[in-house]
Amino acid sequence: MRNWLVGLLIVGLVSVWGCQPAGKDQQESQREVRVAVAGPFTGNAAAFGEMIKRGAELRAKEINEAGGINGMKLTLVFGDDAGTEKEARAVATRFATDRRILAVVGHFNSACSLAGKGIYKENGIVELSPGSTNVSVCEGSDWTFRNLYRDDFQGEFIAKYIKNVLTEFKSVGVLFDNDDYGRGLKDAFAAEAEAVGLNIVTAEAYDRENTDFKAQLTSIKAKNPDVIFISGLYGQAALIVKQAREAGITAQFFGADGIDSPDFLTIAGVAANGTYLTTPFTFGGGGEEAARVAEAFAAEFGVAPDTWAALTYDATDMIAEAIGKTYNREATLAENRKAIRDYLASLDTPEEGYKGITGLTYFDKNGDTVNKPAYVKIVKDGKFTTAPQQLLNLESQE
Amino acid sequence: MEQFSQQLINALVLGGIYALIAVGYTMVYGIIELINFAHGEIFMFGAYFAFTLVTVFNLPFWVALPLSMLLCAGIGMLMDLVAYRPLRNAARLSALITAIGVSIGLQNLARIIWGARQRPFPSESLPAFLRQGIPPSEPLSAFSLTETAIALPGGAFLPYRDLCIILLALALMIALNRLVSLTKIGKAMRACAQNRVAANLMGINTNRVIVITFAIGSALGAVAGVMVGIKEIIEPTMGYYKGVAAFAAAVLGGIGNITGAMVGGLLIGFAEVFGAGYIPYGYGSGYRVAIAYIVMIAVIIIRPSGLFGKSTATRA
Repeated sequence: MRNWLVGLLIVGLVSVWGCQPAGKDQQESQREVRVAVAGPFTGNAAAFGEMIKRGAELRAKEINEAGGINGMKLTLVFGDDAGTEKEARAVATRFATDRRILAVVGHFNSACSLAGKGIYKENGIVELSPGSTNVSVCEGSDWTFRNLYRDDFQGEFIAKYIKNVLTEFKSVGVLFDNDDYGRGLKDAFAAEAEAVGLNIVTAEAYDRENTDFKAQLTSIKAKNPDVIFISGLYGQAALIVKQAREAGITAQFFGADGIDSPDFLTIAGVAANGTYLTTPFTFGGGGEEAARVAEAFAAEFGVAPDTWAALTYDATDMIAEAIGKTYNREATLAENRKAIRDYLASLDTPEEGYKGITGLTYFDKNGDTVNKPAYVKIVKDGKFTTAPQQLLNLESQE
Repeated sequence: MEQFSQQLINALVLGGIYALIAVGYTMVYGIIELINFAHGEIFMFGAYFAFTLVTVFNLPFWVALPLSMLLCAGIGMLMDLVAYRPLRNAARLSALITAIGVSIGLQNLARIIWGARQRPFPSESLPAFLRQGIPPSEPLSAFSLTETAIALPGGAFLPYRDLCIILLALALMIALNRLVSLTKIGKAMRACAQNRVAANLMGINTNRVIVITFAIGSALGAVAGVMVGIKEIIEPTMGYYKGVAAFAAAVLGGIGNITGAMVGGLLIGFAEVFGAGYIPYGYGSGYRVAIAYIVMIAVIIIRPSGLFGKSTATRA
């Protein structure tokens, strides 16, 4: 008897409590719009994650201070994919099935964007990556976009740069992260290197658990390449250059956008000096607006922004703009999500494109951005500096 | 030849680190038959403690290292008191799951305290000979000493820091071996390992013995953590990556057997380094961890209780 009463009481309470949030929810959705940001906030790309988070937060704060999106507050929801496919799938499922989230900025790691792609597509929600460069990230899904170049472009660029600018170097050893990003970039680089006549003497892999690279470096040293190309992320790359110098390797190091983090410099210390790297954006190459954002970022967080903060700032703003132009309170969630996708897909010519701090962004039919250039940086005295010779004058030579 | 001798050195250093961690797994297992998954986290805390002591408290490295060992011993003891002692007579599975929980908890605690980003150990706080070894620019014809390393003829190169890791691992192993075989507490440990109930009946305070075991294993783990910290990098997940390899080492050597853990650690180190160094086309380097496991599996197929383990009939 008593159990029965308690049961009834619980049912009653739950139904009363259950009704309230539903009503509240609707009211709230009038006042705010939610956008998710997925990135590696922990794990071995955590330094990127921190910059991504701050880049998004800065833009959201600015939007809200200026009155929000059509008067609605922009609320960011963060999801940590730890840079692993497993977590990325969990985060993607959570965001895609959350009925308050309109679009997703992320993921960063190519493997994570790829892992989430199917889930976002199935649930009809936009995934706009500010960092994934693997060639196939946007392929086969209308819902995945990115606002930076692809690795086939980057890999080709690096091979050409070594061939045409660093002309004294003939042989290359490659050390690559055995994931979608590292492998894809290595393949693109190797194909072009072969085409332009660079001699790839060895390609050694490592996985995310590696922090001791002495075994790989000892075999590379025996092949004595002029350049070592690292296709991986900043943390392990920093340990590689450090341990390579200790192993007596004197080769030139060349990395890609994966090592473009201030943490590369702090971890590698003096060993970082002289390292070349490519990146989709530099604040030095950006305009006045980029300089303003850099200043605001530094004032807010006490550190200078990096490339990924800038790309995330733009990605967040693109989503906000899409919501501002298309959001309809009367429409269903699926319709609103679809409208954002259609808006992004309509940015398909230089004229239509989005003009942000990282330059012009517009998409091809896959959702890739193909117009953005690569910049070359070189580490000098523990700082990233713009390399004297860049892509633009390189291409005009040909 | 240069390549081979250099790989030999690489393998010894890595193996030494694995051995130090593996001992912690094996000691606890030997006595209470618990796979203490949180041991990898103790190792990680060891690195973070030393890091904090030298950066925040400005202590010299030689004070920070033993202090970090003490702190880790404390955490190990606390872990036993809080998490494992209440489950001493519960089903083994409960303790195992608790161990996984403690491991996840500690890893996230480290993330909260120190953040998720990787941190290098500040080399200026290290004594000169423990800093990054810079090899001579020309290969030397004979054995010689530089400021940070020993240069071997032919170009192979052993930083003092790595030599320290090997020697320290060796010294601590010998000390541990003596402790277990010669002292009274060592005898009590062996008695507990054989039969805890009987040991208790004979007047041995088994709870005390277990706590001391946790303390010793944790202190050794801390040394390994500090060594990896100064040699590589400090991050909240370091305990998981190195811990799993060390666990494989303990199993390979025969879990519960201290000599087995040392030999197992060295074997896993050799398997990883020589697999990565000599198996071509990236199969070796890309799957170095997998190669270590294949070696472990191969050994336990032939000797199911590990190299030094005694085969015992499972109690019904």
